[in-house]
Amino acid sequence: MLNKISNHEVDRRLVLKGAAAGGLGIAGATMLAGCAGSTGPISFGARTVDESPTIQLKGLVDAYVAKTGNEVTYNATESNAFQNNLSQYLQGTPDDCFQWMAGYRMQFFAAQGLLVDISDVWDEIGDQYNESYKIASTGLDGKQYFVPQSWYPWGLHFRKSMMAEIGMNPEDIYNWDDFMSALGELKAQGLIGLASADKGGWEAMGTFDILNARINGYQFHVDLLGGREKWTDDRVKEVFRHWEMLLPYMNTNVLDLEWDGAMQLLLQRQSGFFFNGSWFGGNFLEQSQEDYDDLWIVPFPEINPDHARDTIDAPIDGFCVAKNGANNDGGKDLIKFAGDMEGVQAMLDTGIPMTSANNGQDRSSYDAFQTQQLAVMNEAKYITQFLDRDTRPDFAGPVVGPALQSWFKDPSSTDEILESLQSQWDALPPL
Amino acid sequence: MTTNIKVPEFPKRKKKLYAQDIKDRFISAFIAIFAIVWVFPIVWTLWSSLRPYKEIRAGGVFSPPQELGFFNYEDAIGRMELPTYFANTALITLPAVFLTLLFGSLMAFVVTRYSFKLNVAMLLLFTAGNMLPPQLVFIPVFKLYLILGDLVGDRRFLYDNHWGVVLIHVAFQMGFATFVLSSYMKTIPKEISESAMVDGASVFTHYWRVMLPLLRPPLASLAVLMTTWIYNDFFWALVLMSTDSKRPITSALGRLQGEFVTDYNLLAAGAMIAAIPTLIVFFVMRKQFVGGLTLGSTKG
Repeated sequence: MLNKISNHEVDRRLVLKGAAAGGLGIAGATMLAGCAGSTGPISFGARTVDESPTIQLKGLVDAYVAKTGNEVTYNATESNAFQNNLSQYLQGTPDDCFQWMAGYRMQFFAAQGLLVDISDVWDEIGDQYNESYKIASTGLDGKQYFVPQSWYPWGLHFRKSMMAEIGMNPEDIYNWDDFMSALGELKAQGLIGLASADKGGWEAMGTFDILNARINGYQFHVDLLGGREKWTDDRVKEVFRHWEMLLPYMNTNVLDLEWDGAMQLLLQRQSGFFFNGSWFGGNFLEQSQEDYDDLWIVPFPEINPDHARDTIDAPIDGFCVAKNGANNDGGKDLIKFAGDMEGVQAMLDTGIPMTSANNGQDRSSYDAFQTQQLAVMNEAKYITQFLDRDTRPDFAGPVVGPALQSWFKDPSSTDEILESLQSQWDALPPL
Repeated sequence: MTTNIKVPEFPKRKKKLYAQDIKDRFISAFIAIFAIVWVFPIVWTLWSSLRPYKEIRAGGVFSPPQELGFFNYEDAIGRMELPTYFANTALITLPAVFLTLLFGSLMAFVVTRYSFKLNVAMLLLFTAGNMLPPQLVFIPVFKLYLILGDLVGDRRFLYDNHWGVVLIHVAFQMGFATFVLSSYMKTIPKEISESAMVDGASVFTHYWRVMLPLLRPPLASLAVLMTTWIYNDFFWALVLMSTDSKRPITSALGRLQGEFVTDYNLLAAGAMIAAIPTLIVFFVMRKQFVGGLTLGSTKG
């Protein structure tokens, strides 16, 4: 999809809006023309061809074009193809500004010198973000390479109406014992306690993350994924021991289902809980407003009181500027706009629901489910990005994914699987 | 007497016919089984493409259909931006097939009609190159394209450019084309070449006016085979191009996939649409297609 949005083709209403801004606008516009007008054509790479995010991103680009008059080309690639090809993309002829993810997945490419340092952009827009977002946007060298757009939390999802029928209040589930007895009750009712999937190899990583963070804490989890702790550690075995306790309450066809198969179990009221990223609320909404309104989320229960419920997997999506792009300055100008409340507002104005990372978003516009997501998020002190974003890309997908799948086939072989995980980590080439 | 002779003869002939009959039926059954195995996925895709994803999600794949129609096709045509991607495919496939056949026939001509020290080695080299899996060589090719691009001063000289993909297809398919054409050329009597040379034909006239017209059948079959192979390629366009709007139709299918959800029924409709041109090529030129399968197998 090649969509040239030049200043000649700007939406008429946006122009009128700009004109309405009138007197205030003139001074600002000339200033901007001075600093940004000279950047030349910019290309923007979208990591999606889905309908809703496309509307959102085009809203952002249109607003930028309307404001600065710069020419922006919008290039969209389907997300899997984009992700698999990113290394070549960045080494070759990337777009100036592109959509990407925070955490190790960004740091990995920043360390290879493929991303542009945007610390100066952060100096200007940094006060609009919480510290945790700045940390997630920072490379291993302490400089910023990323501007966050939105996030979603991983938590225990359930249907309010279903729990009310059973007479259970999941908001009361605080620790592991509460959780186990709730699962037992669901099983006694002939229901699946916890809907799970791992056909894709990545779905179960979320469960591993949260169990490890709950049992061993944030620092150990980060160190383990960074290779500073060993997979053969007894503390990791403890994670799998807890996971094994959950197995009797899971559906038996974990390896046959992709995440949306497990979601079906919740949608069709066959399962009590579903541990997943909240993005699937969109699928419930697609089914019906009623199903969406019925959906709720609570944090995963506490296991080790030392760490309480202080960590959450909340992957952050956002933007980067590519070093090999033709127009680094233009890319930086666009990313600054995207991170600034003005750009965020342009995305929100499209009417596509988004939980923005920017503090300026009016949270009163959140629906009930979004407000609850924020509450779950706010209970946590530490944010992790999800296993496949927090560790080396050549380790997460090709090594951890199959290891978890083989664990589901034979949970008694935990020790051998962990030994093989560690030896495969050790065998990885240095970066 | 005569009746005595005829009696044993009659059942004997009948028995022979009967055996042939069993054999025929057996073969028919065998063919039928294979036909079903081959046709089943296509029919299933067609069937899926007519049903809404919502229904599958609610009732599973085997649920009885409540709604059938071409809505997936309408949706797929809207989202795939067919004109752009079909044009891209044509821009890659047509030059690639033409150049493969041109270079392949030139190569085969030299290797079979002129004997010099290295001609067998060259033929082997070309055939061996064909055996290399593309996944093994794509990183060096990618780097090479970038380096060449930097030398020229434009990174998009070969990388992210139709011609880059065309060239890699030519390089990969030429081995097979050379192999097939040279084995066909060996069956053309040497006397034809000798008389051409006696009549004073230059090397090029010999190739262009004498050999090429004789090569028409294998060239036609190869053209059909190459077209379908290059048309179906997904890999090279993915790794050697960075702008999605330049990629061929096979990657347009990806546009029907979501980041988290894939509507398989919509994808099935898209796959059917993408397969139409290959089907047309096949039905128009199916004689050559079948001929192509046995080329070189008996004539080498």
